[in-house]
Amino acid sequence: MPMLRGFLVLVLFFILGESVRLLLALPVSGGVLGMVVITFTLMVKGSVSNDLAQASQGLISVLVLLIMPGVVGVFFTADQFSGQWLAVAAALLLGTFLSVLTTLLLMRAVTTRGVGDGE
Amino acid sequence: MVSELFARFQALPESLAATPILAIGLTLGAFFAGNWLFSRIGRPNWLPPVVLSACLLSVFIALAVDYQDYQQGARWLTVLLGPATVALGIPLYQQMHHIRAMWRPIVVTLPIAATMAAVYAVVIGWALGATPEVLASLAPKSVTAPIAIGITEQLGGSVPLMMGGLLITGVVATLFVDLLARLLPVEDERILGFALGLNGHAIGTARAFEISHTAGAFASLGMGLTGVFTALILPLVFRL
Repeated sequence: MPMLRGFLVLVLFFILGESVRLLLALPVSGGVLGMVVITFTLMVKGSVSNDLAQASQGLISVLVLLIMPGVVGVFFTADQFSGQWLAVAAALLLGTFLSVLTTLLLMRAVTTRGVGDGE
Repeated sequence: MVSELFARFQALPESLAATPILAIGLTLGAFFAGNWLFSRIGRPNWLPPVVLSACLLSVFIALAVDYQDYQQGARWLTVLLGPATVALGIPLYQQMHHIRAMWRPIVVTLPIAATMAAVYAVVIGWALGATPEVLASLAPKSVTAPIAIGITEQLGGSVPLMMGGLLITGVVATLFVDLLARLLPVEDERILGFALGLNGHAIGTARAFEISHTAGAFASLGMGLTGVFTALILPLVFRL
């Protein structure tokens, strides 16, 4: 029961997000809008109820199950993208290498300077 | 008599596929079988269990049902992705106190690094002749899956291609963070965790929790903030 009560809160915030998206014709998914609104609500409220924490943990722990239908499609739709595999592979491998390098260098540079300023 | 029974047996998958329950059963079965296989082969960190589960599921689908029927029935599962995305806000809120401790590096790094994660992929793909649909599928590659699905749908990309790219990105981001941490070197666990979550979403975050609890917390924060930031910015940029 508590878990279902928490689930109802999640569904309500999702419906709220979806409504905002449709009303304002935003190009952002209703789930993300709901997530932003619930995060701010919790920050203002300053605490999270047990029901909600349980329901969110439950849903997050089965996320893999929920994304599997999307993942499996790659085996069935792969031939649509034949001829572009080099571009895809390069974008994923090289792109990820560069973005990891960027993150580490940037974060390291700012963190050391931040500590220096503080002292 | 026997041939009649055989004919009915042959029609069985088709009759069952008319309801969503077969798709749900196949997905659940593949999920648990994949997890079981994953622990049997010693939980290698270059192979996320979801890859195993998805491979098994594709075999099940190929054997038992039509792919379109499967996707129709699986909507009963994927509809939960909406509330599940909202649910990501709760751990994000619980990690928020880390922002207060390290707000300056996070505020500077997050917008630039999250933007570049998408820009590098799109520019490289574009230079090598990828179509707009493929580029839209590559752009959210560092974002956690439920949010990335929403982004790809908004951009008009292919969800299956995006999911494949997402998994590869998670695995190679984890390897690159380990490699570059040694080469640069970077030893601060907070930075390593943040980089793992920002670039490698849930797969990177799982690796960060192996380093330490602090690294894991910063990875969760990096994953959550990257997801929100990319979801809000990318569709607006793509529209231009």
